[in-house]
Amino acid sequence: MGAVDIGGGRQHGKKGKKKKRRIGIRLDMTPLVDIAFLLLTFFMLTTTFSLPQVMEITLPPSETKSEVTESSLLLLRLMENGTIFWNMGTEAPRALEQNTLRAFLKERINTNPNMITLVKVDRKSKYSNMVKIIDELHLANITRYSLAPLLEPDKKIVEDAGKS
Amino acid sequence: MPKFKKKRVGISLDMTPLVDIAFLLLTFFMLTTKFKPVEEAQIVLPESHAKYKIPESDVMTITFSTDGKLYLGLDSQQLRAQLFGEQNKLKPAIPISIEELIPLAQQARSANPKLRTVIRGDKDSMYGPAEDVMNALQKANIARFELVTEMDRKD
Repeated sequence: MGAVDIGGGRQHGKKGKKKKRRIGIRLDMTPLVDIAFLLLTFFMLTTTFSLPQVMEITLPPSETKSEVTESSLLLLRLMENGTIFWNMGTEAPRALEQNTLRAFLKERINTNPNMITLVKVDRKSKYSNMVKIIDELHLANITRYSLAPLLEPDKKIVEDAGKS
Repeated sequence: MPKFKKKRVGISLDMTPLVDIAFLLLTFFMLTTKFKPVEEAQIVLPESHAKYKIPESDVMTITFSTDGKLYLGLDSQQLRAQLFGEQNKLKPAIPISIEELIPLAQQARSANPKLRTVIRGDKDSMYGPAEDVMNALQKANIARFELVTEMDRKD
């Protein structure tokens, strides 16, 4: 297998007969081919063509204060344990299941296309939860959103809403 | 070659094209493989459905790990030498503190206005460091930045 015949072989028929004195060199290519395939498999398996994805975020500059009507402001509060509470305007916050978030956001943006979303995230919450919410906002085509820290009053509001 | 019995037809397979292709592929993979640069911190990226790829050049990477450490990385060696000094030129990322981030980000931006800012955070990290980084970026007048994520294949 994989042998290279560099002329001079005896079974070459009439043409070869003239050069009887030359010694036929037979090179065994098998180890070379083995190594080549080994390396080939290695590089094929280790190569990843995929670059990581990036999610673009554009925050409004810190100086600008935009006036928002309360009725079209969706407030999402991401708590420390990963639960999400939502409310529109001055309503009391309600809990929201993680897996219904996408449908919920789509329905919201369809009923009110001018909706502005404010996401308040607890500092102790997981970073991946926040990424998840932003991702869902992007999927629902909600481009007008901002991030804000979740402060003590927010926690209190959510707690109070949970009791009643 | 062993002597064949006369009735058997000798099969001699020419392996040359196969070997040619193998070597061609081998060279291709060897040349295109870019090994991951050594990183100071092990980062497990969060998942998202974002469809944009990370830009290949002019990137400023801000990395924060689970233990709250912050690293600033720049892809251009020249810029690294300018910002962190000649001795740190070859390091892909430099540990920094959150206070240093604002002036460094501003310097980097003024040195290369095309610089894009990307944030690499560990998915198990808390949101706190991310918030600090974003506040610092806002103060440095960088309102547009990107979060590095992995492709979400679950749904």
